[in-house]
Amino acid sequence: MTNDDIRIKIMELIVPFNKKNIELKPETTFAVDLDLDSLSVMDLVAEIEDLFDIIIPLNLLPDLETIQQVSDAVEKIMGDA
Amino acid sequence: MLGINLMTQPTPTLDASLERKYAEFDTLIDAVEYAAKGVRGINFYSSRGELVEALTYTELRDRAVDIGKRLVAMGYEKNDRIALIADTSADFVCFFVGCQYASLLPVPLPLPTSFGGRDGYVDQLAGQMKSCGATAVVTPLSMQELVLEAANRFDFKFKGTPEQFLAEDVVLGDTRLPKTDDLDYLQYSSGSTRFPHGVSVTHKSLMVNCHDMGKYGVQLIEGDRCLSWLPFYHDMGLVGTFLTSLTCQTTVDYLPTEDFARRPMTWLKLLSDNKATVTYSPTFGYDICARRAGKSAMEGLDLSSWKVAGIGGDMIRVEVMKNFAEKFASVGFEPTTFVPSYGLAECTLAVSFMPIGVGIVVDKVDERVISGEKQAQLPHGARLNGMTNGQTNGYRDIVNCGVPLPSYELEIRDESGTALADHNIGRVFVRGESVMRDYYNDPEATAACLSKDGWLDTGDMGYMHAGSLYIVGRAKDLIIINGKNHWPQDLEWAVEQIEGIRSGDTAAISLPGTNDEEVPTLLVQCRLRDDDERKAFVEEIKIQVMKTTGIQCQIELVPPRTLPRTSSGKLSRVKARAQFISGVLSSPTVH
Repeated sequence: MTNDDIRIKIMELIVPFNKKNIELKPETTFAVDLDLDSLSVMDLVAEIEDLFDIIIPLNLLPDLETIQQVSDAVEKIMGDA
Repeated sequence: MLGINLMTQPTPTLDASLERKYAEFDTLIDAVEYAAKGVRGINFYSSRGELVEALTYTELRDRAVDIGKRLVAMGYEKNDRIALIADTSADFVCFFVGCQYASLLPVPLPLPTSFGGRDGYVDQLAGQMKSCGATAVVTPLSMQELVLEAANRFDFKFKGTPEQFLAEDVVLGDTRLPKTDDLDYLQYSSGSTRFPHGVSVTHKSLMVNCHDMGKYGVQLIEGDRCLSWLPFYHDMGLVGTFLTSLTCQTTVDYLPTEDFARRPMTWLKLLSDNKATVTYSPTFGYDICARRAGKSAMEGLDLSSWKVAGIGGDMIRVEVMKNFAEKFASVGFEPTTFVPSYGLAECTLAVSFMPIGVGIVVDKVDERVISGEKQAQLPHGARLNGMTNGQTNGYRDIVNCGVPLPSYELEIRDESGTALADHNIGRVFVRGESVMRDYYNDPEATAACLSKDGWLDTGDMGYMHAGSLYIVGRAKDLIIINGKNHWPQDLEWAVEQIEGIRSGDTAAISLPGTNDEEVPTLLVQCRLRDDDERKAFVEEIKIQVMKTTGIQCQIELVPPRTLPRTSSGKLSRVKARAQFISGVLSSPTVH
């Protein structure tokens, strides 16, 4: 799966969380642009983990601000597995 | 590594060989030594509910003794502070107890909880390390990079992982044991993130609170088994589920907090599988379970073993609890299992517990009594299990938080400090052996809430009725207009009813007006940049608040994510007010 494929799938998962109906771009941020609270973030993380069958470790979270960064992290975790 | 024994079986619920003692010990060390004679212990589970590690209390004691001897040999002095990044692991538990065997003070520090915010997290760790004057930090390998970023700002004797600590070349000597009045640990879960203060807990305070909770609060008996997803850096996770289980020789199963947040149903699956009987959670834990309860997750679930579903740590929201009870009724959940409680880190943990087997009891209290316009009258109790009619106009549901534990004296006082009779709302004061000694190294903050004769001002407002404590809200944040009290939560709630605004996006405070009157003001986080949109937004809020509460408020927009929070994530209105007045929270365009 290419990085683009991963990003597109993640964007699909985000749609129900996109309450403000903003345009989703690679640089869209979760906290500011999407305005997700920490519980919604955890719901989203669970869905990403289920879809890609991976575990996103806790220590990565503070560095993940944008959709692109999450896509890169998922790609890396899948590559390491 | 020493003593690691990956068991394939979790530690048992029952232990016929050991007579239960309810923390009737002088120190945590005595409690550990007693528990080590039995076969019970702590089990750590993965997000999918698989057993990761089983640690008997015997193994815990053995590993802790070794760690304690090493700490003494490495030259740490009595009462030195050791920061521990509090992940849900056997290592954390062993180091926490290990510090006790060297008479050092472990200081549990938090983990990150969400996307982003790297700098804020590192600053928070550094602030707490500085506040307690730690000289060492132990961190899980996964967190090492972030933790070192904070720790490198200080001159620590040791910073690294448990493995690195145990690899240090030392000549082992003796342990150094504490006495009952010695400090046991520091707890950072109250106070703001920017100005943290650690609660100092002595061995005696801890033993008294664990005794009260085990014997009178939860009433632990032979078949009880605890289950927890609460973090070790929070008082309810540290004292409520770990230390009470240990000091009362009860087996406890742990699910890491981050795994619970992602897969809350694993918590209930473990309860069902292991026939656990005792849990605690803030309201939101029940909320996310109810939200994520899909059909497949409910399959095979049996919650009938549940004896105590403790609720504490936030204001208890009755509707959320009702929803949970209804959702899980078909798999054996009884609403009488709920046990509301009240506590705070400044009291080690618990102050009051509802009697078990009763459930949530609410008072319908006249809003005019809450606002101080009207004298109290006899409230009428109503039971959730009998399912009352929800919100009645002009009345508010106030939850019965139970009976104060036997070691406490409790008073409700008015502004002048006079004790009030039943049904009168005032400030909650408590005194007893589990009240903290002080805020560590902070005499000013200590004097502000703890009197010389031992009375603690909890900062919370409540009243007593028939021996039970009812908590209404926080005192310091009250907004008083024309002699009438307004609860900031109410104004904030009104704003939150607007679509797109969520809990935590707004803070209600009072600002001084031109004639020194109080002007109710709502600080609202806003990311709109266009002037016209901002003006329209302000108008919408004003109308909503007026419509809902009848109060004319001044609205001030502040940038996203700027409202200050305490380290446990609660909104700090006092701080928000101070920052706004000093111009730190600016509102660039609309006034």
